[in-house]
Amino acid sequence: MTTRREFLKISAAVGGGLAVGFEFSEAGAAQAAELTPWVVVRPDDTVIIRYARAEMGQGSMTSTAQLVAEELECDWSRVKVEYADTNDQVRRKRPWGDMAAVGSRTIRNSQEYLRQAGATAREMLVAAAAQQWKASPGDCRAERGVVHGPGGKKLSYGKLADAAAKMQAPKDVKLKDAKDWKIAGKPIKRVDIPATVMGRQFYGIDAQLPGMVYAAIAQCPVFGGKVKSVDESKIKGRRGIIKVVQMDDYVAVVADNWWRAKEALKALPIEWDGGKNGEVSSESIRQFLKAGLDAQQDVVTARSDGNVEQGLSGAAKVVEAEYFTPYLAHSTLEPMGCTALIKDGKVEIWTSTQNAEASHATAAAVAGVPLENVRTHRTQLGGGFGRRGGSQDFVRQGVAIAKQLPDGTPVKLLWTREEDTQHDFYRPVSLIRMKAGLDASGMPVAWYSRVSAPSIIATLLKLPLKEGVDPQAVAAYADQPYEIPNVRIEYAQRNPHVPVGFWRTVGHSQNPFMRESFVDELAHAAGKDPLEYRRAMLKEASKERAILEATVKAAGWGTALPAGVHRGVAVTEGYGSYTAAVAELSVNDKNVVTIHRLVLGIDPGYAVNPDNIEAQMQGSAVFMLTAMFWGEITLKDGRVQQSNFNDYRMMRLREMPKVEVVLAPTGGFWGGIGEPGQASIAPSICNAIFAATGKRVRSLPLKNEGFELA
Amino acid sequence: MERRRFLEAAGGALAASLAPRPLLAQAPPAFAQSADSQALVKRATRGKEARVGKVKLDLPLLADNGNSVPMKVAVESPMTAADHVKTIRLLSERNPEWEMAAFHLGPYSGRAEITSRVRLAGSQRVVALAEMSDGSYWMGTADVTVTLSACVDGTG
Repeated sequence: MTTRREFLKISAAVGGGLAVGFEFSEAGAAQAAELTPWVVVRPDDTVIIRYARAEMGQGSMTSTAQLVAEELECDWSRVKVEYADTNDQVRRKRPWGDMAAVGSRTIRNSQEYLRQAGATAREMLVAAAAQQWKASPGDCRAERGVVHGPGGKKLSYGKLADAAAKMQAPKDVKLKDAKDWKIAGKPIKRVDIPATVMGRQFYGIDAQLPGMVYAAIAQCPVFGGKVKSVDESKIKGRRGIIKVVQMDDYVAVVADNWWRAKEALKALPIEWDGGKNGEVSSESIRQFLKAGLDAQQDVVTARSDGNVEQGLSGAAKVVEAEYFTPYLAHSTLEPMGCTALIKDGKVEIWTSTQNAEASHATAAAVAGVPLENVRTHRTQLGGGFGRRGGSQDFVRQGVAIAKQLPDGTPVKLLWTREEDTQHDFYRPVSLIRMKAGLDASGMPVAWYSRVSAPSIIATLLKLPLKEGVDPQAVAAYADQPYEIPNVRIEYAQRNPHVPVGFWRTVGHSQNPFMRESFVDELAHAAGKDPLEYRRAMLKEASKERAILEATVKAAGWGTALPAGVHRGVAVTEGYGSYTAAVAELSVNDKNVVTIHRLVLGIDPGYAVNPDNIEAQMQGSAVFMLTAMFWGEITLKDGRVQQSNFNDYRMMRLREMPKVEVVLAPTGGFWGGIGEPGQASIAPSICNAIFAATGKRVRSLPLKNEGFELA
Repeated sequence: MERRRFLEAAGGALAASLAPRPLLAQAPPAFAQSADSQALVKRATRGKEARVGKVKLDLPLLADNGNSVPMKVAVESPMTAADHVKTIRLLSERNPEWEMAAFHLGPYSGRAEITSRVRLAGSQRVVALAEMSDGSYWMGTADVTVTLSACVDGTG
């Protein structure tokens, strides 16, 4: 990785007027030999493994490199991981493929070509050694960065690299079985952590260029509204002010430092036109969704098995409930921002992005230059959670503001926390009606769900929906694993004016809460143990059943608990993985919830870095507990009411419960890690709260239901 | 030209396939195998062979969104009464309407060249298929990555 000092040097050189020719590659020290786009070997035996996607703390920068190194048979202590360059990516016609770190997809979508790249480079090194020794490649083998040949001959990768780069890449390579892994599958230390803990990490926000100016931004507080007028005279003569940029839906003040820009913006009278959206409130949105639950029109069927009406009418008992989950903000620690430099028809940007290619394409489109004339500098992200992938609004703004300044002026756009909280692409609000019919033995014979919620895919991505169904809105219902003969899942797409986006775990951040809580309601109505009830509905051989069993075993389900302590359980599937959770908690007479233990199980198929998986599961607990106890974005007069951490609260260190991770990979498939861990947490806790208090939680956050976290 | 049809095709939000794309081995996959677009071509030519060449389709390697992607297609042809391009069709692997547009030309067109913007429902290979006055078909293709990124299962 580029160190902070190198970064500053590069930045200084660029900003200092050096031709921005993109002639150097960040990995391309003069003598390094590129064996494949992913593997570069230096004469000193350093192996550079390139990383195409983003690193935001999810650890994929390390685990993808482990997969390459495993097949490469290199010495891990000589590995350096560097970002693939976006300018090379477009000039070389995308040798690194997808650069997006989204959808818990990095490992599962790229594992095959990454392992092949490592194996390909290894074969080329072996072939080069064999050629030199006039031996058969079959008599040579690679081990820990050295090729060994007949008669004890050996050559290190660094000595072979130049010759290897000239070898023909093999057409087919055989990949190792996971049971033979030596580097992959091991809890290797993350390559990004030392820089982070030593304060040497650099994030998009850290970009510093000579002559740089700063932009503060105010966007129309009502989504979809416009700037009506700006009275620049009120800030005339203020120190350091360079320019007021007025755009369609935002105003930016550019100054010689950010504080001056921000203070001037505060003093600048801006009149907004919010239009009809200015009348929208959380209450009106709730009514809108409620109407969607009862509507006869604009409703589509996402899944239909058997005959739900018959199933319900013939049932011994019918259970019905409505569940609600609110809008949520991403609240990345680093607010949105982008540093942009336009000079001589070339554009450079520095930004924390989950998809460097999307940032790159956006910068090119806004600046009106060819893709080849752009470089998107790669940095660590100060949190992503889906905010920095699907929408590149911050890049669009950063480059648009740079365009308004004299050629060659670098500008750093930085949002305030308040702008960040109030101009997010929120986790959608959702209202769901559930109905189930139980037979005489208490088992469900019919299940009906109607989801009334916005569609991210239709509104943010503007993609057509297959038969009108947004798969995220009905996730965990349409693909629910329970054996029920009559099932109907309906979707009423209802889009308020609030922009929605991909928030970590997306549909699985809310639907499993509702599904698994409702399953608990059914078990209670049937007078059965919630675990036994699930067991009865899950196929013995299913992955859900396997992770459920592994998790309850670790949690000791059924064993005696201290007085006042209760358990809740949930199981979910998503992002190619299977998860289950058992919560142990007590609730006092003031409704203060003490979580004694949270046992989280996951089956991701293969575990590339077990330590990192454990960390992701623990992080999932932080994220979900924060959301379920306090998280809600509310609206009044079309505007978001929350603004900063004082009214959009994060969980504190002392509130974090003990989390035990059950990693139970069963092999044969590749599942995601970053998101699925959250899915089972909320229902396991709410089910335990019911066990403790008899109160069924059907709406989040818990603070609105009267519960506090100890 | 069926401009109306073109606009309908481009704007129509009918059933598009968001089905999982096949994961390919080897180099990072972004596009379906050409078999997909070959099938489209077969459908468009009603089984006749289309040769690769003469048609140059320009689309950007990356598009920041699929709603308005600049497109240029040019076909080598003298455009005389005896030898000209009759139609140019744009075929999509992934849009709700697989035939995105059909442009009808004749010797009076002067040049067989069209510049427009197209709407693309995600990353895909686009085919420009030209039918010549002698009944032969020629084609050119372009791969476009729409950089929308979504935390979604199976829409990648």
